[in-house]
Amino acid sequence: MIAIACDDVSKEFPSRHGVVHGLDQVRLEIQRGEFVTVKGASGSGKSTLLLTLGGMQRPSQGRVRLDGSDVYALPPAQRAELRARCVGFVFQLFHLLPYLDTLENVLAGLPPASSPTRFRATALDLLQQLGLGDRAHHHPATLSAGERQRVALARALLKKPPVILADEPTGNLDPANAAQVFQHLAAFQREGGTVVVVTHGPDADRFASRQFILERGRLTEAHAHAQAPKPL
Amino acid sequence: MSPLHLILKEIWHHRWNSLWTALVLTAAVALLVAIRLTADAAERETRRVMRDLGFNLRIIPAGTDTAFLWSKGYPDLTMPESHARHLAEQKGVFLTFNHLTATLRQRYPLARGEVILEGVSPSISDEGKKPMGYSIPKGSLFLGHHAAQLLQAQRGQPVQLGGRTFQVERVLAESGTEDDIRVYAHLADAQAILNLPGRINEIQAVDCLCLTSDQDPLAQLRATLTQLLPGTQVLHVRALADARARQRQMAEKYAAFSVPLVLVIAALWVGAMAVLNVRQRRSEIGLWRALGHGGARLTTLFLGKAALLGAFASLLGATLGTVLALAYGPSIFHVTAAAITWNPKLILVALVVTPAFAAFAAFVPAMVALNQDPIETLRAD
Repeated sequence: MIAIACDDVSKEFPSRHGVVHGLDQVRLEIQRGEFVTVKGASGSGKSTLLLTLGGMQRPSQGRVRLDGSDVYALPPAQRAELRARCVGFVFQLFHLLPYLDTLENVLAGLPPASSPTRFRATALDLLQQLGLGDRAHHHPATLSAGERQRVALARALLKKPPVILADEPTGNLDPANAAQVFQHLAAFQREGGTVVVVTHGPDADRFASRQFILERGRLTEAHAHAQAPKPL
Repeated sequence: MSPLHLILKEIWHHRWNSLWTALVLTAAVALLVAIRLTADAAERETRRVMRDLGFNLRIIPAGTDTAFLWSKGYPDLTMPESHARHLAEQKGVFLTFNHLTATLRQRYPLARGEVILEGVSPSISDEGKKPMGYSIPKGSLFLGHHAAQLLQAQRGQPVQLGGRTFQVERVLAESGTEDDIRVYAHLADAQAILNLPGRINEIQAVDCLCLTSDQDPLAQLRATLTQLLPGTQVLHVRALADARARQRQMAEKYAAFSVPLVLVIAALWVGAMAVLNVRQRRSEIGLWRALGHGGARLTTLFLGKAALLGAFASLLGATLGTVLALAYGPSIFHVTAAAITWNPKLILVALVVTPAFAAFAAFVPAMVALNQDPIETLRAD
C-alpha cells in the first residue's frame, strides 16, 4: 500500500540569477512500512523534497499523494489537518519550543483538537522509552543536543503518525546519539510506520530499505535493500 | 495545549520583550488617563474662569441710546420679559448659548446716595451646569460693598427699599468696580420697585459659537438673533468672547495634538516590539505549521499575547494615570481641585480599548510574518 507518492513533482525558485530547480520531475512511490533515505549534497533539494512530501511546500508542478490524499488539491485547513494526522516531522535543528518543558514540547506535537491531558501518560511513557524519563520537566536550553533530538522524536511519535519525515535528524549529533535516533526510527518502522530520512551522510544506510540520491533536484534510486533493516 | 497556556509560557520566556511592551503600553495608558483627567480639570477650570469673566453677549432693545448705555451702564429702553423665554425656547435651533439671564437695571436714588438696582431672573442654564451669576430668592437682596454702607445694612438684616422690606442675603466683598454700588434683587422684585412689571432692559448670555473675532461671530449672532427677536440688537463683548473662544480652541487643539501623538508613539513601539518578537519566533511559526496548526491559531497566539499584555497594561496604566492626576492635578488646578476624582468610565474604556489597540498594533507584523515563508527556517538543506 502506497504511503507517499510523487508524480512528476518539480519545484522552481525564482532568484536573481534566474530560476533554480529545487526539484526536477521527481517520481517516487514509498510503500507503507518502508525506511527510505534520500541522500545528496548540500543544496541538492533534499529539504525541499521533504517539505513538499509533508504538505508544507507547494510544488510548481506535479502531484503529491499522502495517505491516499492529493495533498495540494486540499484547501489549506484540510491540508493542515492531514499534516497533523499523518506526518511527524523531525528536523536537524530540533525546533523545540524554548518556553515549554520537555513534556509540553512532546505534547505540542498532538493534532490541534487533541486533549494534552489524555496523552500525558503516553508522552511520559515515550520519554521513558527514549531515555528522557528524568528530563520531563526540563527546558530545551538545559538539554544536550542528543536529548533535544530525542524530544523532537518523541513529539513526532506521540500521535502515532503513519509517516515520519526526518530532515538531517542527526546532523547536529555525535555518532552515539545519531545511532540512537536511527534505532528509534527503525523501531517505528518495524511497527508499520513509514520513514523518510534526508541526509548527506551514510549513518542511515544500514537501516534503509531503499536509498535514493538527489542531485540538482533530480531523484534516482541508488540500489534496493531488503524490506527489514539490517541488524545492528 | 490551550493558546492561553502557550501565551503565558511565551510571555514568561521572552519576559524582557514582554515587559518593555507592557511598560510602553502602561505609560501610554497612564499618560492618556492623566491627560484626560487633567484636561477635564483644565476645562472645568477654564469654564470657571470664563464664567467669572462674565457674560459676553448682551441683547438690548433696538434704538437704545448708545451714549446713555455706555455712560450709565444699562439701556434707556426696555423690552418684554417674554423675549428671554422665547429665546430660551429656541436654544439649539438658531444658535447656541449658555446661562441666559434677563435683567432690569436702573439707577435708583436712596436717601444717602444713588445705587444701581439690578433685577436678575433665574439663570436658564444647560442641565447639569451650575447657573451663572447670582441666584437671588424673591424678597432677598445681594448688596454691593458700598451699597450696603449707603443702606446701613448687614447680612441677615431686613432693609427697606421702594417701600418694601427685603432680607439682606449677602453683602459682597469690595470689588473696586461699579458692582460696589449695585443692589441685586429678584427680577420680579426689581420690576415692582421700578414699576416696570414684565419688562427687562437686557438679556445676558454666554455665546458658545466659540469663534474668534477674525471668524466674525457678531455677524452670525446678529443674523440669527434679529430674526428671532425683532426689536432687539446684539452687543458682543469681544474681548471676553475672544478670550473664551481662544481658550476653548487652544484646549481642543492641545487634545487633538497630544492624544494622537501618544497613541502613534505607543503603536509604533508596540509594533516594533511585535516585529522583534515575530522575528525571534519565525522558526516557531514554521514548526506550528509543520505540526498542522492553521493560521487562525497562530494569529491567536500572537495577537492574544498583545491583547493580554494590553489588558495588564490597561489596569496598571489606568491606575497609575489616575494616581498621577489625583496627586498633581489639584496643585495645578486650584479652583476646581475638589472636582478631580477617579473616572470609572475612563478606566472601563481603557480596559476595553487598550487590549484591542495592542492587538491592532501587533496585527501588521504578525500578519507579515505569518504570510512570509516561515518553513524556510525549518530546512536543513
